Amino acid sequence: MEIVKSKLSMKSKIGKIIPYLYLAPSVILVVIFCIYSDFFSLIVSFAEWDGLNEMNFVGFQNYIKMFQDPNFLLSSLNTLIWVIGTLLIPVSIALIFAIAITHVKTQSFFKTVFYLPNALSQTIAGIILTTILSTYGLPHLLGVLGFESLAKDWLTVPYLNTVIMVVSSGWQGIGMNLILFIVGLNQIPKEPIEAARIEGAKGIRLYTMVILPLLKPIMLIVLLMSLVNSFKSFDTIWVMTNGGPFRTSETLAVTMYKEAFVHNQLGYGSAIAMFLSVTVLIISWFLLRDTFKGEE
Amino acid sequence: MKSYNDKNRRNINIFLSIFAFLWILPFLYVVINSVKTRKEYNMGEFWDLPKGFSILENFEYINDRIDFMMGFLNSLLYGVIATTLAILFASLAAYAISTLKIKGKMFWFMLIYSGTIFPFQMYIIPIFRMYSNVDLYDTKIGLLAVYTALCIPFCLFVLRNYFYSIPKELVESAKIDGASDFKIYLSIFMRMAKAPIAACFLFQFTWVWNDLLFGLTLSKSAEARPIMSSLSLLNGAAGTNDVPSALLAAIIASIPTFFIFLILNKSFNYGFPTTSK
Repeated sequence: MEIVKSKLSMKSKIGKIIPYLYLAPSVILVVIFCIYSDFFSLIVSFAEWDGLNEMNFVGFQNYIKMFQDPNFLLSSLNTLIWVIGTLLIPVSIALIFAIAITHVKTQSFFKTVFYLPNALSQTIAGIILTTILSTYGLPHLLGVLGFESLAKDWLTVPYLNTVIMVVSSGWQGIGMNLILFIVGLNQIPKEPIEAARIEGAKGIRLYTMVILPLLKPIMLIVLLMSLVNSFKSFDTIWVMTNGGPFRTSETLAVTMYKEAFVHNQLGYGSAIAMFLSVTVLIISWFLLRDTFKGEE
Repeated sequence: MKSYNDKNRRNINIFLSIFAFLWILPFLYVVINSVKTRKEYNMGEFWDLPKGFSILENFEYINDRIDFMMGFLNSLLYGVIATTLAILFASLAAYAISTLKIKGKMFWFMLIYSGTIFPFQMYIIPIFRMYSNVDLYDTKIGLLAVYTALCIPFCLFVLRNYFYSIPKELVESAKIDGASDFKIYLSIFMRMAKAPIAACFLFQFTWVWNDLLFGLTLSKSAEARPIMSSLSLLNGAAGTNDVPSALLAAIIASIPTFFIFLILNKSFNYGFPTTSK
């Protein structure tokens, strides 16, 4: 009797454990690759480490070094240019295009055209635009047309190349935002717009007063995605300029990669990664906090 | 009033058409120049129409140069297998969280979903170190494991939301019929979730296919290198001045994502709202 009872309780215990087995593969993989990595990065960011010798803990040295390192400061500035440029092109222009597209009959045609570069990866878009912007491409055409001063390799001009790359990545990345804006604009209820029209609002006023406030939820999503992605810009820069010339077009993601894997400063690289992550988290938090407030 | 509106609409159409033309121009450039020979491109102008059709030569050149086909097949392997595994694992977890009797459902969900919070820059140094220690650096298995792990949180999010929408009555009646938990998972949840599974697959496959960061960090030989890392070799130290070949490679490497674009574009036109990673 006792044996049967203990067998039963064994069985029910196993029965209680089995549901957790469904979780196991996901949890194990995420813990190994993500959560372990987060802590490891945090720890390494306080150490001086070339990856070969022992880790040497140096407190906040890496973080102090960051703000004295001209490469890091320039890279932060470039990242800021990327962020502002992203607000201008993939967000603002996408919104203007979306509004324009909802006014014409050939919606799906324009949607397809503007979304098409999204079928390319950032790497591929970078390769294509690099060749177009090389001295055989667009600058050459401008030279032939009589603008000789413009006929040079723009991507090797410091600072100008960052602007060009921001525009290039706008060409590639506008599609997703555009689609989201169009979905949002089409979902806006007709009644408040009609009411505003009767009140006499039209044109730009109708948009700034009525339609854009109604679009706010979608705008927040687009803003969040675009801002976070622009902070992490890597692929485009890696293929178009590789951060050069003389490390003038690096962003934080590129600087982090180079410090860690080219200069073997794993500790310093981790500190930059931490800085990047915390910045991204703060931005996400600010934007999401507003979203939740809107829902309350 | 009507003529004013018509005029407005015409202006908007002109405005959009100009930009649409600008948006298409790079594609025209790629298509026209990818079939030229290297000499033809370097000697002539990029706006000249191609004289011949030297796709095969260009393909051969690029294949020699960066092991293009191997990169293509590697990425296909990573994309299909990692995404499938991630969906399988994530759906099991989503099923446990939404339906099975477990404690701390929210905790488990947040634990797995936390994988999307930090930028991937946080992961590359630790994973690189870990892989160097266990000899997974520069192996197919290593890249497969990373891609699988990083696809799980997004899939879990999508599938959990969907699983919660499946009526509890279905589960109850299946249980009365004597179906086991696993049978319910297979025959009810997975069968009903075809649409969200397809969405997960398309998005995550695209992400794996387009990934450059992990390919660069975790592979060095052609045997394991995914396609975007191979392509990135074209610009840089080992770069090429054979522009037509590079453009051809860009076209071929975009074929899978272009198909996905066609599928998604169709569903966008039905108003399918979505967000990417």
